[in-house]
Amino acid sequence: MEASGVFFTTYAGDRSLVRTRPQWIALSLLMLVLVALPWLAPERWISMGYTIFITAVAVVGLQICTGYAGQINLGQSAFMGVGAYACAVSVSQWSFPLPAGLLFGGAAAAAFGSLFGISAARIKGFYLALTTIAAQALFHFFVLNLPSRWLGGPGGVSIEGIAIFGVDLANDTAIYYLTLVVLVVMTGGAFGIVRARHGRAFEAVRDDDVAAGMMGIDVTRTKVRAFLVSAFYAGIAGGLWAVALRHVSVEQFSLFSSIWLIAMMIVGGLGSIVGALIGTVVIQFAREAVTTLGPSLSQAFPVVGQDIVFASMNVLLGTVVILFLLFEPKGLMHRVTSAKQAFRRWPFPY
Amino acid sequence: MKSATALRYAAAILTVTLAGAFAARDARAETSYVVPSLSDFSGPFSSVMPALGGARESVIGWWNADVGSKIGVKLVMKAYDTRFDTAQTASLWPGILAEKPLVGFALGGPDTAALQQRLPNDKVVMLLASASNGFGWRPNQWVLSMRPTFVHEQVGFIDWYQKTKLGGKRPVKVALVTSEASPSYADIAKGITAYAKANPSVVELVEVVFAEVQPADLTLQMRRVTNAGADVILAPASLQQAIAVKRALQALGKKVPVAFSMHNAPGFIAKPMGGIETLEGDYEAQSGVIATNEDTEAKRFYDMLVAKHGLKAPWHGITAAGIAQTLLLVRSVEAATRKNGPAKLNGEMIHQTLLDTPITGASLFGYSPDLSYNISAPFPVYNPKVNIGVVKDGKVTTAATGYPIPKLDRW
Repeated sequence: MEASGVFFTTYAGDRSLVRTRPQWIALSLLMLVLVALPWLAPERWISMGYTIFITAVAVVGLQICTGYAGQINLGQSAFMGVGAYACAVSVSQWSFPLPAGLLFGGAAAAAFGSLFGISAARIKGFYLALTTIAAQALFHFFVLNLPSRWLGGPGGVSIEGIAIFGVDLANDTAIYYLTLVVLVVMTGGAFGIVRARHGRAFEAVRDDDVAAGMMGIDVTRTKVRAFLVSAFYAGIAGGLWAVALRHVSVEQFSLFSSIWLIAMMIVGGLGSIVGALIGTVVIQFAREAVTTLGPSLSQAFPVVGQDIVFASMNVLLGTVVILFLLFEPKGLMHRVTSAKQAFRRWPFPY
Repeated sequence: MKSATALRYAAAILTVTLAGAFAARDARAETSYVVPSLSDFSGPFSSVMPALGGARESVIGWWNADVGSKIGVKLVMKAYDTRFDTAQTASLWPGILAEKPLVGFALGGPDTAALQQRLPNDKVVMLLASASNGFGWRPNQWVLSMRPTFVHEQVGFIDWYQKTKLGGKRPVKVALVTSEASPSYADIAKGITAYAKANPSVVELVEVVFAEVQPADLTLQMRRVTNAGADVILAPASLQQAIAVKRALQALGKKVPVAFSMHNAPGFIAKPMGGIETLEGDYEAQSGVIATNEDTEAKRFYDMLVAKHGLKAPWHGITAAGIAQTLLLVRSVEAATRKNGPAKLNGEMIHQTLLDTPITGASLFGYSPDLSYNISAPFPVYNPKVNIGVVKDGKVTTAATGYPIPKLDRW
């Protein structure tokens, strides 16, 4: 619903993503803050920033698969791992330029992910969740057991002297800007996908796959496509992760990480790209806050002991997530939308 | 006249007092350096962290009071909870780096994965308490371990067992229990298999059992292994595997000695097993100190930390590892201070000092053999030694100290 007095007289205006001047101003200010952050904020914020950006790319992909297409996916971290390895190997061993390496990582993850999309054609719900857990196990098994000269075995793959368009990526600020640009591009792409016919097909399959099939949607292909797109996003995120750390190893991509990605999506709100971004920022900030508070508290209250302080911090983090799920199960984006609607209707109740 | 004399006396007293005060201030002047302590208070090693973190804190406290104050250096330890998670470590590190750390404590694989590529640029040495890995055996590393690889330690034990228990007459039949779930554990299988292949006269590897890190039951696997006639079972991976191996052997009524590592040593698993007597005849093989109740220099140092520096952790392998790790850290700072003075130390000086200067076992109060690092490996690669403990008459006792580990090629 638009605010009173806001209407469009052109088709381009009607389908625009950023619809009003205040929205443009808000978006521009946000981008300005993000671009200026490395110059204004301490170093810690830069690393927090790029960690959030990379995670957000993976969560946006997960949102397309789970939030829009309704396909439960507990293998997103494994898809990230496939992308990370593919990018690292292509850049360090085959001398791919970084953009090609990132795309190759995305493509490799998409190929791996679409295999699970095929299984989604036959199974649903908990069974699909279990099948996607297999992605984690398979990824782990292959990396550790393939010949070491391929993927480095248990030692992983390292990337030396990485650069993009002549810019050395061995510093945190460069990584920050690279990941920010990729996040903007990928978020734009996600909006494009979910607002186009593919997105409509995803939502139709999510709401009722039998009805969707009767309406002429190829359900199997749509499910495969959802996994493919989701895994492509994860692969790009994995590639960025490899570039940020300059080292990839198998234990970086665990089932536990996949569960955190799902938590971010749920806290932000299912079925919303902006929700995925908000959920990522909120959860990552909460995690960083408890991690940052811990050392300060343990120094301020040495009598309590490090173990008690740090354990309490994590209990606090867990409590915050549980409270979100109890009191705002539709996610933060639902609350934002409700508040926006109420503001636009004010002073009328509906 | 009298007042002038009184004034002179007063001036003299004031001068002497001020001079004394300035001299005392100079004598007390210390340069403080931040030491980040990467910890896991909420991840898989949260149960051992109080012992490890407490040991780190108490040794730093002891060193600041007894040694640092004399050489003009104060170390300020700051703990960070990485949750044993690579992403968390990577995210935390730039903030840690902004505090200009001199040298730090690492915990294990995730720290190494997150930092190993950037530490040579950041010029900060991180010291590990745990054993190293075959895949980390690369030159110019800045995450240094004071123990060789798990494979070195287990190979040292195999060689000792074959020579002393079997008299070197036949190869020792060995079964290994490990896991594919962790790269470190998978690496143990790779290394032991390579050693067995290259040394058939010393060891016959009857089976490598790949199990879950937290297995529910290993009875079937242990039946296979005992039926194959294993002389000894190696269980250097997880604590839960160690317990599962012992419970399976109990259930089968078999008495085959088991060799554990530091983090799942008999002294550590005695409680969940129902008492140390259930582990009679079992071994602990590792390059750090064996936490026995014998009157050793290491035990006396531990007792001093408990009495004077508030160490609350019980005497076992994890506490000993924390003490050892911290002793290496403070001795490297000491050596660097002797070379470069206390005022302008940096991480590069610590790294260079560790490469140049052997750290003697005596200066580490027997918590480690002599340590000398080399650019070729992140652990003391030349002349590594293993200590072996055995449970005898309901007590952990020393079976061998400083047993030389056979030379190993990279696997």
